Amino acid sequence: MSLKSKEKKFSLTKLKNKSEWLIYLLPFLIGIIIFTLYPIVNVFLISFKENFNYITKTFSGWGIANYQYIFNDPYFIQALKNTLSYVFVVIPVSTCLAILIATLLNQKIKFAGLFQTAYFVPMVTSTIAIGFAWRFMFSHKYGVINYLLSFLNIAPINWLQDPTYNFYALCIYGIWAILPFSIILLLSGLQNIDPMYYTAAKVDGAKPLKIFFRVTLPLLAPTIFMVIMVNTISCFKVFNELFPLFGGGANVPAGVANNLFTVVLYIYYQFRVRVPSRYGYASAAAVILFLIIFVATMLQRYIEKKIKS
Amino acid sequence: MFKKISLNKILIYFFLVAGAIIMVFPFYWMITGAFKTGEEIIAFPPLWLPSHFSLDNFIEAFNKAPFLRYFMNSVIAMVGSVSICTVTTILGAFAFSKLKIPFKNVLLGFLLGLMMVPFEMIVITNFRTIVDLGIYNTILALIIPFTSSIFYMYILKGFFDTIPDSLYQAARVDGCSNWKYLWRVMVPIGKPSLVTIILLNAIASWNSFLWPSLAIIDKNLKTLPFGLYSFVSEGGAKTELMMAAATIVVLPMIILFIFARKHIVNGVARGGLKG
Amino acid sequence: MKVTIEHLTKRFADNTAVRDFNAVIESGELVALLGPSGCGKSTMLNMISGILDVTEGKIYFDDDDVTDVVPEKRGVGLVFQNYALYPHMTVLENICFPLEIKKVPKSERVQKAMEMAKLVHVDNMLDRKPSQMSGGQQQRVAIARALVKKPRILLLDEPLSNLDARLRIEMREEIRRIQKETKVTTVFVTHDQEEAMSISDHIILMKDGELQQIAKPQELYDNPANCFVADFLGNPPINKTYGVIKGGKIILDGECSIEDERFKNLEDRDDIILSLRAEAIEVCEDDGYNCGVIDEVYVMGKEVLAYITLGNNKVRAYIDSDESFKVGEKVSLKLKKRGFFVFDKMSGERIL
Repeated sequence: MSLKSKEKKFSLTKLKNKSEWLIYLLPFLIGIIIFTLYPIVNVFLISFKENFNYITKTFSGWGIANYQYIFNDPYFIQALKNTLSYVFVVIPVSTCLAILIATLLNQKIKFAGLFQTAYFVPMVTSTIAIGFAWRFMFSHKYGVINYLLSFLNIAPINWLQDPTYNFYALCIYGIWAILPFSIILLLSGLQNIDPMYYTAAKVDGAKPLKIFFRVTLPLLAPTIFMVIMVNTISCFKVFNELFPLFGGGANVPAGVANNLFTVVLYIYYQFRVRVPSRYGYASAAAVILFLIIFVATMLQRYIEKKIKS
Repeated sequence: MFKKISLNKILIYFFLVAGAIIMVFPFYWMITGAFKTGEEIIAFPPLWLPSHFSLDNFIEAFNKAPFLRYFMNSVIAMVGSVSICTVTTILGAFAFSKLKIPFKNVLLGFLLGLMMVPFEMIVITNFRTIVDLGIYNTILALIIPFTSSIFYMYILKGFFDTIPDSLYQAARVDGCSNWKYLWRVMVPIGKPSLVTIILLNAIASWNSFLWPSLAIIDKNLKTLPFGLYSFVSEGGAKTELMMAAATIVVLPMIILFIFARKHIVNGVARGGLKG
Repeated sequence: MKVTIEHLTKRFADNTAVRDFNAVIESGELVALLGPSGCGKSTMLNMISGILDVTEGKIYFDDDDVTDVVPEKRGVGLVFQNYALYPHMTVLENICFPLEIKKVPKSERVQKAMEMAKLVHVDNMLDRKPSQMSGGQQQRVAIARALVKKPRILLLDEPLSNLDARLRIEMREEIRRIQKETKVTTVFVTHDQEEAMSISDHIILMKDGELQQIAKPQELYDNPANCFVADFLGNPPINKTYGVIKGGKIILDGECSIEDERFKNLEDRDDIILSLRAEAIEVCEDDGYNCGVIDEVYVMGKEVLAYITLGNNKVRAYIDSDESFKVGEKVSLKLKKRGFFVFDKMSGERIL
């Protein structure tokens, strides 16, 4: 073999190695480009196209008319308000409960596996299916919740059909559904705390409550913070929970008086329920949702960095 | 001293048991409801147990709507999307973890940014995309959009990164191709992580509601949660049938969870849930 | 197989790891690549194996230019510091793996792997997983895996640094034995001079990416090419004293004159280093020449180590345990036949 052909052969092998990554990455990237990247770009574009028709792909011009429309739409304003209220109720309550339960689960207890199964199983179950169980429990006349409340002398509440209460029914279900995830993260955060801190505090004579507030909570703070942020983002997207509780017929599952619109439900309503679909409004609302989540994420990263430094 | 400790323990158990009852109660209520008769279910005060356990409600539910069909559709969609997604995830994670890619960090950062985008935002376009691809209202519509996931790729890449590079170099020097190294070394070592990813993905696929409700219109192609929802909302189904149908949807995941709890819990603790 | 390295240079984005390196590794030898951490010795090894590309220069295996040949075509066996055994495979599967890649039939594969396992003494634990073995045993498996495909050269990257002190001595002798039995040309990287001195045929000493000296271990010790080589080898470290040469004498800082026959022909110059090995100094009763003062005395078993002040410099020397020098006593030093060197302070070049 001459030197020249030898060299050529080797350089060929090298060339093959250098572009090989593309073969590995391509299947992954194709899916991402078609079903994640392109839709994002497209939604941004549509949100600025006025009178967009998806079938003919025609539109009357570029502008902010879609945004003007949704911000003048009482349903959208209501959706923003409801979504924010939902976040402000569910996050504090669920986080406090989760810290309490995680702390208890972190004690030396028997049947730990059984307890974990009980506390975690809502996480893997269909929001729709178990939501129907809640709908049954919330029932005005034969609901078990009203029955139990009657022992506290509370008159039956029309949880699902009364516009003053249906928001709370949604929150209760939401808290129950989000708890397992929070508990798992907090429990693993607790388990990562070095036991020597507890030993040190005990040697100093600190009482259990003191240890909890002065040692455990500060060390757990980064995890708590992460739980709050991740849950906040998922609460901003509250949507599935509405269907089993309030859904029925061809209506939008927004409660009796359509008082329970959320941002995602509003998007769904604009492009799926209305005929013909209002892609422009749906996209504008989706961009607003994205901006909210973007700000929340940036805030999270910023505070995370502050905590670390 | 001894007494005080046991009092603490009693309090801990009291709160744990009370909390566990609240968490599990909806399941209990759903399953017992599935066995109650039409009168029993509207009894007040509510009955804690059905008078007898007959499968009548399940049989009636199966007769009124094709739940077996829904079940099969759910299984097909789950197996299809999870298996393809697992392969693209393995390949992508390997490329990002071990291969030289130009502007790798920029690309990774960009993908992480994309992960922030809510799924609810991209369904608007994806809905049109599957129409344009001609797979609207087919099982493929439940599989094709979920063939790659940044989230799972990122988790697996994180694990692949912990496998020392010297293993890779040792294999390369022996003449092992990237392909063979990936499947003979990386994947077997990464089995626990892979199992976790597959489980999380399977659960997400099984429970998904929004996408099937958009992509499917044909009664025979619905998946379980969507089928259940239509069954209740369209038929105005009786509560006991609703409970029986809900039980059918929930039961497989409960069983899966009981058997694979550690994998699922560890996975969630490590990577969080997919948004 | 002989390895020839010509003008080898490796530049990374922000530094040059290896600079214009020339060396020849003779066939069948066990050669140590020695140097302080960060000197480029692992980079050198990785270029020989082909894991790293070469920026400039050539590498020849015998007469073949392998500079641009991919690692798997070079026929190198590689052993890593952390062993790099596949955790999910048994010992036997690990050793078989290189043959499996070469598509060697299974029965032949197992037979060859057994031979290797026997050679490195792990043939009684073929079914174990790496996690069930000690570091030394894992290292043996790693060597067997590297040797099973009959490489032209065996490369070991810091093979002993993850082992504890006793195991390290045992394993280095094992490496020596295995190398002698297989006669495969072997290069191993180490930062431990004792390791390199004790088992290698030749040592390649590197610093800051540059070759300092290639020589047999004893030659390196007795005849260092420059001040760095002298400093790097030896325990206790060589004594460095600073001064000038004037009138055939060395005048150390602090006006301490050191005389010796062999200094007589040296030309006058400033800024020199006189390096003295502890065992090259003979301590005698004060006779007016090469005077110093005993500072401290340590009795360490059979040896007695003394710290002696020479002007502004301090040196360590062994003294006879029969003699009883006291702290503060004035003594004379005589230089033995070997073990002292004179270097230029700026360049480190050897003057004597």
